[in-house]
Amino acid sequence: MVDVGMTLEMVEASQMGMKALGAGLAVGLTGIGSGLAEMTIGSAAVGATAENRDMFGLALLLTVIPETIVIFGLVVALLLLF
Amino acid sequence: MLRPEQMRRLLIAAPKGEIDTIIRELYRHNVYHIEDFVPESESPEELSIGHPLPGASDAASALIDVRAIEKACGIEPDNVEVREKIPASKVRAMIQTDLPAIQKTVKDLVAKRSDLEACQKKYEQRLKELEPFVAFPLDLESYRGYSWFTVFTGHITHDVSIDVPHEKYFSDQVDGNMIVVVVQNEHREEVERTLLDAGFQAVPVPEESGTPADNLKAHAEKVRKASEGIAQINKDIEKIRDRHTDFLVACDELLTADVERAEAPLRFATTEETFITEGWVPDDQAASIQEALKKATGDRIYIQELEIEDDARVPVEYENPTFATPTQVLMDIYARPRYSEVDPTLMVAVVFPIFFGLILGDVGYGAILLALSLGLRKIVKGDTGRMLLKVLSYASISSIIFGILYSEIFGAALPWPALIFSRHLNIGGAAGGHGPQVTELMVLAIWIGILHITLGRILGMANARKLYRGKHATKAAIANAGWLGTMWGILLMIWGFYAIPMMPDLTGLPVVAMGLNVAAMLGVVLLVAGILAIAQENPLELVEIPTIISHVLSYARLVAVGLSSVAIAMVVNYIAIGMIIEPQLEAITPVGVIIIIMGILVLLMGHALNTALGLLGGGLHSIRLHYVEFFTKFYKGGGKKYNPFGMKPKFTEE
Repeated sequence: MVDVGMTLEMVEASQMGMKALGAGLAVGLTGIGSGLAEMTIGSAAVGATAENRDMFGLALLLTVIPETIVIFGLVVALLLLF
Repeated sequence: MLRPEQMRRLLIAAPKGEIDTIIRELYRHNVYHIEDFVPESESPEELSIGHPLPGASDAASALIDVRAIEKACGIEPDNVEVREKIPASKVRAMIQTDLPAIQKTVKDLVAKRSDLEACQKKYEQRLKELEPFVAFPLDLESYRGYSWFTVFTGHITHDVSIDVPHEKYFSDQVDGNMIVVVVQNEHREEVERTLLDAGFQAVPVPEESGTPADNLKAHAEKVRKASEGIAQINKDIEKIRDRHTDFLVACDELLTADVERAEAPLRFATTEETFITEGWVPDDQAASIQEALKKATGDRIYIQELEIEDDARVPVEYENPTFATPTQVLMDIYARPRYSEVDPTLMVAVVFPIFFGLILGDVGYGAILLALSLGLRKIVKGDTGRMLLKVLSYASISSIIFGILYSEIFGAALPWPALIFSRHLNIGGAAGGHGPQVTELMVLAIWIGILHITLGRILGMANARKLYRGKHATKAAIANAGWLGTMWGILLMIWGFYAIPMMPDLTGLPVVAMGLNVAAMLGVVLLVAGILAIAQENPLELVEIPTIISHVLSYARLVAVGLSSVAIAMVVNYIAIGMIIEPQLEAITPVGVIIIIMGILVLLMGHALNTALGLLGGGLHSIRLHYVEFFTKFYKGGGKKYNPFGMKPKFTEE
């Protein structure tokens, strides 16, 4: 399946492009995932904080827990790029 | 250190005649944590909850008065700086002489202010109603009082022509236009339809007389006078606050103490002639408080030391070196340690700033945050806030140190190459040195994770012996060892198959069986033993095994979050300096100067945003690694706060 019209440089460049696309997808999609997860937690956290001000620290913390998803995405992207 | 303060459980019994003396003495020492007496079905019938001391209700009502004045004047005792301590006797005298007068003045002022506010609101409303009518030169009386005519007044989208005999005024000077139409009653419906087709919205005519313009002026004058009056009253209240704050907070403190003392018997068990109370005192104070109580009552008291049966009932007070005390706030957000378990505050106090520095290692941002934490210390007055600021100042010092090691200042390089691993990304073609060492940094983060979690599990084994008894303790300890074995087993297997930079390369070891070399074989043995050890405590725990990998990998955030903050900083620099400012510097024109100023604004805004993100990212992720990855390995928490009966007088002195 070698395309005769492609030189080695072109193949390498296109590989780089694919890597960049992959990295972008990794961060973007995991970002959406984190966002969706934080959406519900965040609204519940705001509600809890409104009821009881002392909850603020815990609420903030619970809200960032799904951030792990996007961080894994970021890690994958970094490993792809470097 | 690593353990909460040791407590002793005391039982105090004495005749009721001594109750006042004993309460006073306990309150003065401020070390005795009262265990509230709760009458239960099995407690002896003769025991009942005590009655408040005489004077309780007087003190309570006086306290309510003082708090009301404080609220009206906007005084918050927690945020008041101590200027001088007032003798308690003087405060008591002043409560009799000065307080009623202050109370009356404040009450009058507040009442007057709310009258004025009501008046202001009323006339503001009228102003609003009048405004549309100012456009027409008609007196307000001429809009009403007709029996043969109908008057339409209201907003309309555009002027309309009316086919029946009528009188009409239209103005487009008013918001939403304004129309007034007067027609005979028999044409009423027809005209109404025409108007409604043009989007007519009726506006009621104000119940006033005279021309709208004159009324408007008069009302505006009244509103102005009312707001002037309010401002004057606010000034008066401020004067009262400036003059009496010290006295009011002293009153508050003294009366609070009175009320607490007077209501203490509600927490005691009493019989007809005696009372009994149980409570906790720190180990090092136990002897002195017993001595003092005996002396104060002339030995008419019985004190016994009881055994500590249930560690969940013991109040917990931290015992940490001074530099670690601010971190206690971070512990309290999660949960206070149980009395018998390891108190990890010291470890958090050391590791948290290191994590923060690893994430936000930048001299510039570190310096900004340090300045911020030191500057805010003057403004923030609450205890918790100040503690958090101290934690932040330690974290930002660590950030500066790591910034020097990473050679970073606002995303740019310092004059030396990175001393540990470089995080300089190639953004805008500005990379110097050998580019970012992402793989090395990542492996470093994983190492930190492995060690941190290993420490957590070892503490877990230590805690298991303290928290549980008998068989369960052994089982829990073995399970923790099992988790440790599983993790290291997986690691050994990985090392046996793959060579990873900065980790032991065990691929070259001789193969033993099934294509596994010595290290991988050892790994398999550890893994299996580990899984068995976990299962013997609770087989359901086995579903958690994937968390071993995800928790270790989670430490990669130390690098990932850090790199993203570096990337943002470099992008800001590139956009502001490389793309906006530098091209203009080649040939300076008047337009160019404006563009340069805009570039500087972009630079400042970008770095301000990144500082906030760095603080949030660095702080939250560092503490999260502790709460979620570290604490879940060993920490139970849920200890009661040690809350001694008494108060350190801040504004008064005996």
